[in-house]
Amino acid sequence: MAGGGGSSSQCLSYAGCNFLRQRLVLATLSGRPLKIRKIRAREEDPGLRDFEASFIRLIDKVTNGSRIEINQTGTTLYYQPGLLYGGSLEHDCSPSRSIGYYLESLLCLAPFMKHPLKIVLRGVTNDQVDPSVDNLKATALPLLKKFGIDGEGLEIKINRRGMPPKGGGEILFACPVRKVLQPIQFTDPGKIKRIRGTAYSVRVSPQMANRMVESARGILNKFLPDIYIYTDHMKGVSSGKSPGFGMCLIAETINGTILSAELASNPQGQGAAVLPEELGQNCAKLLLEEIYRGGCVDSTNQSLVLLLMTLGQQDVSKVLLGPLSPYTIEFLRHLRSFFQIMFKIETKSPEEEHKELIPE
Amino acid sequence: MEEKEKEKKKKHRAKHSGPKAEKKRKRYLNDLGIGEEEDARKRNPKAFTVQSAVRMARTFHRTQDLKTKKHHIPVVDRTPLEPPPVVVVVVGPPKVGKSTLIKCLIKNFTRQKLVEIRGPVTIVSGKKRRLTIIECGCDINTMIDLAKVADLVLMLIDASFGFEMETFEFLNICQVHGFPKIMGVLTHLDTFKNNKQLKKTKKKLKHRFWTEVYPGAKLFYLSGMVHGEYQKQEIHNLGRFISVMKFRPLTWQTSHPYVLVDRMEDLTNPEDVRINPKCDRKVSVYGYLRGAHLKNKSQIHMPGVGDFTVSDVSFLPDPCALPEQQKKRSLSEKEKLIYAPLSGVGGIVYDKDAVYIDLGGSHAHENEEEGVRPNHELVQSLISTHSAIDVKMASSKVSLFMDSRPLGSEDVGQEFVMPKEERQIDLKTGRVRRKALFDEEEKKENDDAVSDEEDDQEEEEAMSEDGSDGDDEEDAEEESDEGEEMALGSAKRLKTEVAKEESMSELPAFADSEDDLEMSSEEEGKTAPEENEVEEDDYDEQGTYRNESSDSEFEAVSKGVADSEKYEIASEDREMRSQLSARSLKKKTVLTTDSGNCTAEEASESEVESLDEGDDEEQSHDELEAEVSNQKQFQHTWIKKADSSRQNKLEAVEAEDDDIENLLREEEEYEEKTDFSADTAGALKWKEDLTQKAAQAFLRQQQSTPNLRKLVYGTAVEDDEHESEDAGDELGGLFQVRRPDKESKEKANALDCSKFLIEKPQDWDLEEVMSSIKDCFVTGKWEDDKDAAKLLEEDELYGDFEDLETGVVHKGKPAAEGDESENEEEGNDGKKSKPEAEEEEKKKERLDKKRKLKEMFDAEYDEGDATYFDDLKEEMHKQAQLNRAEFEDQDDETRVQYEGFRPGMYVRIEIENVPCEFVLNFDPHYPIILGGLGNSEGNVGYVQLRLKKHRWYKKILKTRDPLILSLGWRRFQTIPMFYIEDHNGRHRLLKYTPQHMHCGATFWGPITPQGTGFLAVQSVSGTTPDFRIAATGVVLDLDKSITVVKKLKLTGFPFKIYKNTSFIKGMFNSQLEVAKFEGAAIRTVSGIRGQIKKALRAPAGAFRATFEDKLLMSDIVFVRTWYPVSIPKFYNPVTSLLKPAGEKDTWRGMKTTGQLRHERGIKLKQNKDSLYKPIVREKRHFNKLHIPKALQKALPFKNKPKNLEKKGKTPKDQWRPAVIREPHEKKISALLNALSTVNNYKIKKARVKHRQQVKEYLKVKQKEEEQKLKRQKEAKKKIYRILGQREKKMQKSSLKGSSEGEKDV
Repeated sequence: MAGGGGSSSQCLSYAGCNFLRQRLVLATLSGRPLKIRKIRAREEDPGLRDFEASFIRLIDKVTNGSRIEINQTGTTLYYQPGLLYGGSLEHDCSPSRSIGYYLESLLCLAPFMKHPLKIVLRGVTNDQVDPSVDNLKATALPLLKKFGIDGEGLEIKINRRGMPPKGGGEILFACPVRKVLQPIQFTDPGKIKRIRGTAYSVRVSPQMANRMVESARGILNKFLPDIYIYTDHMKGVSSGKSPGFGMCLIAETINGTILSAELASNPQGQGAAVLPEELGQNCAKLLLEEIYRGGCVDSTNQSLVLLLMTLGQQDVSKVLLGPLSPYTIEFLRHLRSFFQIMFKIETKSPEEEHKELIPE
Repeated sequence: MEEKEKEKKKKHRAKHSGPKAEKKRKRYLNDLGIGEEEDARKRNPKAFTVQSAVRMARTFHRTQDLKTKKHHIPVVDRTPLEPPPVVVVVVGPPKVGKSTLIKCLIKNFTRQKLVEIRGPVTIVSGKKRRLTIIECGCDINTMIDLAKVADLVLMLIDASFGFEMETFEFLNICQVHGFPKIMGVLTHLDTFKNNKQLKKTKKKLKHRFWTEVYPGAKLFYLSGMVHGEYQKQEIHNLGRFISVMKFRPLTWQTSHPYVLVDRMEDLTNPEDVRINPKCDRKVSVYGYLRGAHLKNKSQIHMPGVGDFTVSDVSFLPDPCALPEQQKKRSLSEKEKLIYAPLSGVGGIVYDKDAVYIDLGGSHAHENEEEGVRPNHELVQSLISTHSAIDVKMASSKVSLFMDSRPLGSEDVGQEFVMPKEERQIDLKTGRVRRKALFDEEEKKENDDAVSDEEDDQEEEEAMSEDGSDGDDEEDAEEESDEGEEMALGSAKRLKTEVAKEESMSELPAFADSEDDLEMSSEEEGKTAPEENEVEEDDYDEQGTYRNESSDSEFEAVSKGVADSEKYEIASEDREMRSQLSARSLKKKTVLTTDSGNCTAEEASESEVESLDEGDDEEQSHDELEAEVSNQKQFQHTWIKKADSSRQNKLEAVEAEDDDIENLLREEEEYEEKTDFSADTAGALKWKEDLTQKAAQAFLRQQQSTPNLRKLVYGTAVEDDEHESEDAGDELGGLFQVRRPDKESKEKANALDCSKFLIEKPQDWDLEEVMSSIKDCFVTGKWEDDKDAAKLLEEDELYGDFEDLETGVVHKGKPAAEGDESENEEEGNDGKKSKPEAEEEEKKKERLDKKRKLKEMFDAEYDEGDATYFDDLKEEMHKQAQLNRAEFEDQDDETRVQYEGFRPGMYVRIEIENVPCEFVLNFDPHYPIILGGLGNSEGNVGYVQLRLKKHRWYKKILKTRDPLILSLGWRRFQTIPMFYIEDHNGRHRLLKYTPQHMHCGATFWGPITPQGTGFLAVQSVSGTTPDFRIAATGVVLDLDKSITVVKKLKLTGFPFKIYKNTSFIKGMFNSQLEVAKFEGAAIRTVSGIRGQIKKALRAPAGAFRATFEDKLLMSDIVFVRTWYPVSIPKFYNPVTSLLKPAGEKDTWRGMKTTGQLRHERGIKLKQNKDSLYKPIVREKRHFNKLHIPKALQKALPFKNKPKNLEKKGKTPKDQWRPAVIREPHEKKISALLNALSTVNNYKIKKARVKHRQQVKEYLKVKQKEEEQKLKRQKEAKKKIYRILGQREKKMQKSSLKGSSEGEKDV
């Protein structure tokens, strides 16, 4: 009895490396210890990958007093979260995943730190797997602002662009601390008033970007005249270590809903070369697909909006989402197990779902 | 007689105040004709005009200031519609009349008289208010706990004695933990004989009370006692006050759920208790939920016991419900409910699955027992065995094998340490009393304590106490579940027992609790299909497998049967539950029939059930229906595989289904299958392609799924992978066959990516595809109510208007046409229904338009002066309405799942692993509180506080002495370290708390949100005449690392001195240590500053250092360092509720070293060096500065040592002779001296005179000057006047002149 460490809350246990990020993030936010077993236990190369290790290191950096135990083979991870500390940090991300992989989780954690977070992340800024930094900058930041997380401190800045496989990009992410979030009522997406976007190219001909823009406009102009796609060609030091190009498109509605789509070229030495025209067209089509899915929040940020709704006050928040991605579905389940919060899900019309957060 | 009465009757007194008097006065004035102009402002408007703009501005400013001062930051109103009862805590020192007051209040509200009050009493006090009244003793633990949950405090003060320490302590506790409403009640006022004295005392007490609470705080006077009760009218008034009182929400209370427990039941399996009387218990506690919403499985803290996780929560019908809404003014007798289960009021209490009836006494029961007991010795001996018979059999077998003496039944009996009973015959009543030996003394003490508390009523209650004693014992007995109870235990328990035994006899392996059953059934659900896939036709093996696995299978089977049956008969599931035993019979029948299709069905069934994570028994009916339909769907697919009579039956049921459902079936099937693919460890071969398809058509599916909730929350993927693997068949008992189950692995170890990739993109080149999203753009078609063009066209608002500039009259569309036609239709309708509908529509349209107009008008006129504050308030109000509206229409069952249990509900909370002492030593006089914990409040870490020793606490607090803190819900002992923040932000350790200053403190303990108040006491045991609260403060910061440091000086000595460089030794022990301190500033005691340069090779730890001057060998060199202090990780919750009854206020935690030393008589051995001694300083002798001759020569003259040798004696020949004057010369010099004195005097005199003259002259001069100025001024005046007149004349003349000039012209 005496001198005991007090009773810590129940440890949650999961198997497999999938959804590692959301589990760690939610464990940190809820303060509950977490155990993940069987991380690639049956594979040739068992255990945590370098990008996951890098992520864990990042989590360790932004917190104070976390305890992380990994077994010898790396197949089991025990995580006892500390306090979210924040401050000015730097982190070298593993180039096997893009910075978006790390940034997505940081976006979830940053508003709840003790000190405002200001972090420099180095690695791959745009790749084909994760949402790129451009995309997150265009979609996630407005979303945070909706919850009252705004002010001068909130920004994502791309200092250098880095494409896979070598990376060499650098971004700055800064976020102020907001412990009290506003509830949102975000059920009317409104009509799309403009389409913006960025076409970037590094270490290739600057003409590539223009070609992408040209082809994307060709498709999108059928719907809307107000289209402007910026071309961003980076040179010298700020162009990273590998060549590549890509595009990120954003559709903005009159109610402030932002839908996005993006595509990037194949990394150097992997797969066939992609024509910029083709890429531009495909990207535009992806955007149309995203519009077709509908919702007030685009598919990559579904989980972020749900998390912020959960962590807000005990008030009802409502949001309209497109079809739920598998990632979001798992996230909802995790939210229930970490925070005991269940969402009331209503189907609004045959094509849309309607989600509500329940006051605590 | 009559006359007397007449005399007695009071004379009528006309009212002088109040509404009636006012009315009369008005009428009177009206009659006089002056009543109309009651407003002076109207009567005399001139008196109220603006006199001064500045003052006006000031008054305006002031009123505005006052207005804004009243504003609070608006918060969202979260008070539940039906609030929980108000917690009224009656507090005061002993024998001040707390219990009497409670009794009187209860009697006032409910017309019932409670003899003894234990625990909280809930009563309905009005149409919209209930009260939970609880008494608070003087134990500081109780005071702390109750201050945290109180809404209203009735603070009883003995007026004949004055304030006591308890009162102030309680007030201080309240201040720290959020100030509830406090109302003072003065009692014992009848002891004052002198009226003046009484008045004086009242006033004195009132003012003191006001300074403590707030000026104007209500203080009630209870004047005297009538038949041991307070006066009825006074109590009535007090009751009125309580029932109309408003409360302000307290931060801690509104942000945390909490329950003031009014009932507790022990749910532990009696068998477990019998085997091990000290086993951890499972209890259920009951009470109204207050504060915030409570979630199932959340963390709670029970002050005095510890932290727990809620294992189950359910809400029960309100035992003390508010009356239904009606328009009566007062409550009827029926509605004046009272609920106090701990006091034995409220005869029947309902539980989730049982009804408890309080039988009052237990005398009859006992007699029965006595008669029965001797006859059942055999049963007794059987019961008192430690373990089950089969276990014992096994053990005895083993012992035989080992060639040891086989255990006899007697041995087993002896092993068991059963609490022995001792019968005592009460001499007074002749009643036989039984006492369990192990807690005998405690009870006695408890009785003592009770009697101590109420000395006055001791005699009265002596008899009743005996009776209640017996009750207590009986209760305790029932709760502790002794062996005897088994024989006579409640039917319910026996039933479950029997059921369990049955299952035990049937099955070798069995699951202990229902949860286990659930778990294993889930597992079953997952494994069974897998097996299906592997060996499709091998039904027999499945059967055997099932036999082996567990009885959960039976459960599943029986459920399947029961469910289907239920569906057919449409019987309620409650009924079904009651047929538990019948079910168990059915199990066998199912087993024997054992057809293959049955298993799959069960599997699906059990799975579906596991999906609905709720207790299957509690599922609402419609959900069950859905379930069954799901099951049917599954069967629908199964039909292709096999037939049976049963299916036919089910098909018949299906026929009843709606057509729609049939249509939907296809899609639902899809859903089912994907779920399977997600869940099943092994993939079904015939399903593989299906799952892929399902994955592709995910989007489509989601669109069409009727129940998204089920999709998300129903198929919670548990990581039971290993279990399914374990269940896999074994080869030769050693190796397990591993089948690579790709899908599950992919799911578990797939790429972690948030992107939602499109499986099958649409062809956006096609026109029709494109047109599908065309309306999503601003260029597309708008809805009718938003389309600007249409609005413009339709809206009459912009219909007719006249352009003022051009004078053109614009006519809107002749809307009258419609009206006319309407009229026409009106004229000749009567038969047609269509026009009516049209009419309706038009009516609606008109109404809409009207509404719109009104809105516009409102927007223009009302919201003009809305301030930011109003907007904010409006916003909050909207949010509150939204919150309310969201779940209003849902039934509580589903609502609870989303938002948790809302405050105001009567909940039953099950808690497991509660220490047995909690149940054994349960004392209803001590409040039990369940406080919900926030997200990370269950964790432990370093907490930083700002702390101030209480002014009234006599001692100062020492660092590293254990201290008991009350923080959040908790009371715990910990070891704080005090510190103070230096100017550079360093936290420097303090040895003691400063006297009248705040200081910092860090301790290891539960993480509590910043800004939470706390208080500290040194001991919670016993009472001291002194003030007990040692310190108060607030949480500043939470951290996982510590920053407190203490000063550490490392000293060393020079062992070699070069000019400014010295070699220092003795400061460090190794080169490494020195390396760490390279560059650090050092100093000698004499003040020469220096720096550590580099380590020397030998001796170890020596280093080279440079100084600003040369050192002496006698110098001591030191470096100032800061050493981080480690904070002891000591966190010891105060477990006062676990102490035996009567000793609950004697909890003692860790002792301080001082206490220990004092107890054991150990004297502190002081370090000899630390003792103070008289300082003896030797006289220092400095050697002369010696400059070498060569150097002296080289020096410039300035710096050369001057030959400061004393001059030797001057030789006699160089002595100068003394002058001796002649007498004549002497005379001359004397004369000269005298003359010069006279002369000096004269000069002095002349100077004074001259100065005076000058002064006078200046005076005269000044006068003249003034006069001159005056004259000049007058002259000027004259001149100017003349000049002015002249000018005026000129002007006049010029005006005239001009006119004249005109005339002239």
